[in-house]
Amino acid sequence: MASIEEESASLDGYFSDTPLEPRPSYPPLLSTFERSIILTNLPKVPSSKHEKLSKVVLKLVSRIGNIATYEDEDSPTGFYLPIDEANDATVGCAFVEYETETDAKKALEVLQDYKFDKNHVLKVTLYERASSLANVTEEEFTMPEPEPYKERANTMAWLEDSCQRDQFAIRHGNDTGVYWCDGKGDPVLDYGGEREKKAGINWCDYYIQWSPKGSYFATLVPNKGVILWGGKDFEKLGRFPAPGVDFVTFSPQENYILTNNNNRNDPQAIKVFSIRTGKLLRAFPLYPKDFLDDKLPEAERQNIPPPAFQWSHDDKYLARMGKDLISIFETPKMSLLDKRSLACDGINEFQFSPKANIIAYWAPEHKNSPAHVDLIELPSRKSLRQKNLFNVTKCSMVWQEDGEYLGVKVTRHTKSKKTLYNNLELFRVNEPGIPVEMLDIKDAVMAFQWEPTGSRFAILHAENPTSTKVNVSFYDMFRTSSEPAKKGKKKAENAIVAEVNKVETLEGKQCNCIFWSPAGRTIILASLGDSASGTLEFYDVENKTLTIKEHYRANQVLWDPSGRTVATTVSQPIGGGHFKFAMDNGYILWTFQGKQLSQPRSFETFYQFQWRPREKLSSKEEIAEISKNIKKYEKQFNAFDEAKKRKLRLEETREKRKSRAAFRSTLARLKEWRARQKQERKALLNGYDSEDESNYVIHEVVMETVLSSKEELITTA
Amino acid sequence: MRPILLKGHERSITVVKFNYDGDLLFTASKDHVPSMWRSEDGERIGTFNGHKGTIWDLDVCRFSRRLVTASADASAKLWDCETGECLKTFVHHGPVRGAAWADGSNMFATISDPFVEHNAQISVYDVPENDDPSTYPDTPRLEIELPKNANGKRVNATNIVWLNLNEALFVTFDNGAIRLYDPQTGEELDEFYPHEKKINRVSFNLDKTLFITSSADFTAKLYDVVDLNHLKTYKTDRPVNDAVISETKDHILLGGGQEAMSVTTTSGKVGKFETRFFHLVYEEEFGTVKGHFGPINALAINPNGRCYASGAEDGYIRLHYFDKSYLDMKDPVPEELEEGEEDFEEEKQIVSDDESD
Repeated sequence: MASIEEESASLDGYFSDTPLEPRPSYPPLLSTFERSIILTNLPKVPSSKHEKLSKVVLKLVSRIGNIATYEDEDSPTGFYLPIDEANDATVGCAFVEYETETDAKKALEVLQDYKFDKNHVLKVTLYERASSLANVTEEEFTMPEPEPYKERANTMAWLEDSCQRDQFAIRHGNDTGVYWCDGKGDPVLDYGGEREKKAGINWCDYYIQWSPKGSYFATLVPNKGVILWGGKDFEKLGRFPAPGVDFVTFSPQENYILTNNNNRNDPQAIKVFSIRTGKLLRAFPLYPKDFLDDKLPEAERQNIPPPAFQWSHDDKYLARMGKDLISIFETPKMSLLDKRSLACDGINEFQFSPKANIIAYWAPEHKNSPAHVDLIELPSRKSLRQKNLFNVTKCSMVWQEDGEYLGVKVTRHTKSKKTLYNNLELFRVNEPGIPVEMLDIKDAVMAFQWEPTGSRFAILHAENPTSTKVNVSFYDMFRTSSEPAKKGKKKAENAIVAEVNKVETLEGKQCNCIFWSPAGRTIILASLGDSASGTLEFYDVENKTLTIKEHYRANQVLWDPSGRTVATTVSQPIGGGHFKFAMDNGYILWTFQGKQLSQPRSFETFYQFQWRPREKLSSKEEIAEISKNIKKYEKQFNAFDEAKKRKLRLEETREKRKSRAAFRSTLARLKEWRARQKQERKALLNGYDSEDESNYVIHEVVMETVLSSKEELITTA
Repeated sequence: MRPILLKGHERSITVVKFNYDGDLLFTASKDHVPSMWRSEDGERIGTFNGHKGTIWDLDVCRFSRRLVTASADASAKLWDCETGECLKTFVHHGPVRGAAWADGSNMFATISDPFVEHNAQISVYDVPENDDPSTYPDTPRLEIELPKNANGKRVNATNIVWLNLNEALFVTFDNGAIRLYDPQTGEELDEFYPHEKKINRVSFNLDKTLFITSSADFTAKLYDVVDLNHLKTYKTDRPVNDAVISETKDHILLGGGQEAMSVTTTSGKVGKFETRFFHLVYEEEFGTVKGHFGPINALAINPNGRCYASGAEDGYIRLHYFDKSYLDMKDPVPEELEEGEEDFEEEKQIVSDDESD
């Protein structure tokens, strides 16, 4: 016993009741598996190949985030690819543990349905979910009740209008309204957010946007997202959460909607939703990886606009330009087409064809390769046509609406790079081999537009791009040439030759923009903007008639889908500081011939005017048939218009009659009231009666004025 | 309709007025000298010399004998129309905005703007026509102080008128209000807000049974005098400076245009310096008369309905004689029912019956 006491005495001071300082730090014990996932549907390989498969899978899962690694371990420990000892092969699944929970969730999103190889599409399950599923017995499962069928609003309802009217929407002040426009008289309100007003809110506080076929009407709620409306009464059809949303893009077939909040720091700045299901399909940052050169100074980087996403015409693909590549995503999975981007060295801009899965892109001169314009077919990635160009400063590509032609405006420089000049490269996309024609234009070209559904195009050009007087030239992709008369045929035959030729040039015009009517044939030459005169010239390319009108300070020209009516507006962006002018903001409607349809509508603040787009349902042949029988239809429509006009007029007259009667009775009452005061008034005027006409004496005065006199000697012979 | 250009004023016109009989036209401008013109041919008969400031308002008595002018030189003057002689000067505490004769022409009222420590005020002066002007008292018979608003903002009066039989003083304000005061006691009788912005001017028909207010809120509104009921609204896209009611037709004339201060920033053609013609009942604009190159500040239509005068910021007065086509103009809605109108009415009823089913 004594020895123990001695021992404890000698150890006194080594042990104490007070805790040690500092305490040793232990990593927090994980009690859950929220960072872990299970990959299934992996290939089952013999154990000899286990190592190789491990490597591939590990590489794949590591792309998402760091795999959990424990101390004193060189290789990640959070990865396990089990082997079935009995079969001497892998089980076909893998366990992965990430360092963070977010990475695990990201893996769930990104790797879900990942095409590992031809036969294996991966499935990802959160470990916790899997373990809870393991406990589920079959009896517990009950068939989920199918949701009761709810009829969706008929988004085509407005097309059934008995008067075949078009619609447009405007945003001004706190108001949003959708109006009917019959192309003849004043627009009529269809829906102006009355339901919302009743609930004490504005229908829309930010921008509005029609979908490409007019089925949906999107209102943007800046801090929440997008709401879609549609159907006869504009009921709510969908909500898409997208905080900070600044603008939206619909896919051409209206299956998807893309929201963008223009926030550089948001990794989910751009979101793609399916409209039907409301599901978020994928989110993207504003800029693709490596798009912004890190070496550039910050200020310069700020000035580079983000590359825009573009939809293919059939909603199949969504593409965005990256550095030296185009990333093409396949809907609805939103995964990269064939898992790899389309390599396009030095790409500067690309455009989808509006009618086919063809991508046109151009790249400037790069090292030893010349500048070039490429047409690539999807999904085969076959290059349909490549055109090399030299001394290129800039290109801009314009597809014709039917995708038949592609026009490329090429700005070139001389060897010294001192002077710039233009030419046009015109691709005939539908012809075998895609022939390209070059059109030299000495002047600077300010604008280039195809006639929708036609073979013509118009360009705006001048010797000096800053001059106020410019020329407008019209070209046709086809030339009608008269062949010399052959034997047996008396008349010369008109042959149509595929050859670009100039139709005519209008010289010395004061305009800075051109707008073809969607129906073709009519074009508006407009001088838009704050400093411009607002001159509008309506030109009929076939009849060569010109009508000149003016809308002072107009900044937009908007054709309706039918090409019957055109609107010019004076608008400002929302929240774009103060309104420069408090007056004249608003719109004017014109017929395609330049006749003003209604008095200008003005508002204190006017933000947006948008025609409701609609699909062209008649084929070219049907349209031709109609224009052939126009006389028949004309009669029908005229009679209808007359009846409607008469009805309107009678209704108006009736209203006026009513208000006139009411006003007359008011006047009679006032007169009576005044008559009662007659004596008092007379007294005030010392007995003079103002109403007594006999107080006025009319004198007739005859005045003779000699204008000139002349003396003449008359000699009598 | 070629107008007679009355050249005589050197600065912006502030007011033009016909006398009761319509043979004389009185005009005032910022150049201190009111003028009197023969309305038949636009010849200037004479001027009234003596003021040292802008003339904001003037009023001529029922029998065109005496004229009262309100000036920014803080005085109102009483003139003999025939001789052009100043009969008496009434000194005020601040610029005088408006002046109006009472029925019977034996007293008039003025309104003056606030100045330094003085509040805006209404003053009523007794000036019996048969008395010697030298015996008129210098001080008003009645003063009504118009104190600042509750929120400390000063409210300036813009016009003053006596209502029929001198039972009330009718005052318009630059915050869109109209107030009625008792001319005996100075008590406030009524207040209402026809507009949200400044009321530039108010004018009455000859009978004083209707009045029309013109406001910076781009509208003019028609009211009846008896019940002060709002009857009609005439909408434009520019501030309205003056509006008058035609005596012979169911028409309203509106004048105005882009504010003078922002005119230089816009091109002349968008200023909308036209006289606009509206139908009294249907509130529809049916015509404009162009000519001025500044906003129209004042309008007057001859009680005989044959001519009207407009005075503008550009310093010109244009006296327009109406064409025959205007004088012959009929109401767009005929008195008799149009052929088919009755049928239509029935038709409409059938439709509404269907709807109720």
